[in-house]
Amino acid sequence: MPLGLSVDLALQNPDYVPEYREDAAPQGGEEAGSATSGTVDWLNVSWEPEEEAVSAPVEKYLGLGNFSYVLGDPKFHKALKNTALYVLATITIALPLAFFLAHFLRQVPGRIRPVLSFLLLLPGFCLSGVLATLFQLFFHGREGALNQWLVVPMGFDPINWLLDPSFVLPALVLQAVWRWTGFIVLFFLCGMEAIPKSYYEAAKVEGAGAWRVMRSITFPAIRHVAVFAAVFLMIDGFASFSGAYNLLGGSGGILDSGLLLVTYLYQVAFPGGSGQFDFPAAAAMSLLVVPLTALMLFLVLFGRNRLSKA
Amino acid sequence: MRTTSARYLSPSVLVSLLAGLVFSYPFLWMFLSAFKTNKEIYQPLLLFPADYEWDAFAALFSEKYLDFSRFFMNSVFISCLQALFATAVTACAGFAFAKLNFRFKGALFLLAVLVILVPKQALAIPLFEWLTWLELNGSRWAVILPGIASGLGIVFFTQIFSRIPNELIDLARVEGASLPRTFLAILPLVAPALVTYGLIHFILAWQEHLFPLLLLSDANQTLPLGLAKLRDSSHRIPEAVAMAAATFTLVPVVVLFAVFYGKMRTALAELTLH
Repeated sequence: MPLGLSVDLALQNPDYVPEYREDAAPQGGEEAGSATSGTVDWLNVSWEPEEEAVSAPVEKYLGLGNFSYVLGDPKFHKALKNTALYVLATITIALPLAFFLAHFLRQVPGRIRPVLSFLLLLPGFCLSGVLATLFQLFFHGREGALNQWLVVPMGFDPINWLLDPSFVLPALVLQAVWRWTGFIVLFFLCGMEAIPKSYYEAAKVEGAGAWRVMRSITFPAIRHVAVFAAVFLMIDGFASFSGAYNLLGGSGGILDSGLLLVTYLYQVAFPGGSGQFDFPAAAAMSLLVVPLTALMLFLVLFGRNRLSKA
Repeated sequence: MRTTSARYLSPSVLVSLLAGLVFSYPFLWMFLSAFKTNKEIYQPLLLFPADYEWDAFAALFSEKYLDFSRFFMNSVFISCLQALFATAVTACAGFAFAKLNFRFKGALFLLAVLVILVPKQALAIPLFEWLTWLELNGSRWAVILPGIASGLGIVFFTQIFSRIPNELIDLARVEGASLPRTFLAILPLVAPALVTYGLIHFILAWQEHLFPLLLLSDANQTLPLGLAKLRDSSHRIPEAVAMAAATFTLVPVVVLFAVFYGKMRTALAELTLH
């Protein structure tokens, strides 16, 4: 089990500093003297590469060095951008889709409604490994179902979903939408079923159109659930690991076009994929994610409070 | 007055049915693929196998490639206990946050929200060290115990308990019931929420991949890891066996969901109305 082994190694050598972090070690002008000696130590070590894991050169706090290193890392920027895009795309596709499916499901006779919502929920019950397997075998490649049923009939060339850099992220988004839409439909449906029938009758008496009914009755009723679903998708998106990990095998996909934050965190912290081995930077990175999600969550909850007061 | 057949053939039914089929068709393909040869599986457009061979199921249950029942039981054990404990602990915490006054309440609640915000995966390394110190590494409790702390559960139950009228609590206290007694007395009122949260936690625990990979010894591994082993190309296991195993990983979740669907709907509707 390579992963377990890597963690063992890490625990034995907690102060191991990898080669590419050379620039992050010395910080600030006052420390010029010690910084030079640190660099010399480092050079000595790097001449004997087989010992570099045993005799780690630097053993001191870096202050904010890890943060500044992470913030300047172009790969981290890429991962951040990809993740933001992934989360936004998932939310903007899944929420309206789920709303309309719930709207249609509500008009379905009650006896077959559970069966139909159950069909939508099936991907959400599934292990992400199974979803990835299905995606690879069923959707992927020139002969895959997605290409043959959707892309080719629309007059496009078949898309190589996991090898074309511009389609890796859409493939991940597609997987997330496929997985979570059913749950959101269930949430919306329960919300809509809880609306008293008299509301609709009153609206009908007053001559409200379908759009007016939806805007004044249905939307406000499912507002809380929609917020909950958005928060859930957001957290799942920022922390999403297993989907991308199973689909892309721990790499960022071709040209890192599908590199998500947690995948990168994993790459930096564990030597498996890329050979880098750096817990402090990984810790700094995971802490940098927190204010980001906190900000978004705050915005969403703040918006909800304002809405419910209005 | 529309007839029954017209109601079952309305556009809404057709749209919903179409969406349902699109979402779940791959799973039908997955189930039927358990009967196929490798060559048939690599043709994704082919739905039905040429002939139905039960070899893959036989290989799975005779445990020719791996000890499937052990993986299955480990998964059931871990997910059930984790869901049970998590529901119990977060329901207590939610009750305290919604109905009791104590010092640092706001700060503690903020802490619970922060727990949601830190990706679980980012905590893997400190957790590993901690569990090594507790000498739990490798055992099933190494996955169960960390899974109990759920910020989402605390927020969910705080919302749920804040809907219970304060007068009810006051009444119980006036009647002389102790605090734990009061809590137990109002638990039946939130039964649908308890079931819903337990079910969601069960599904998430059932799907957990990274922590079991890091923390469990070979004897205690769960289904996601077993499935990854079946799919590992170096073992030359027919794809059909992985498909059969994947079909069985769905069974417990589907059964639990079918049993508790009604309760879940009640809880979700309650969450909406207020």
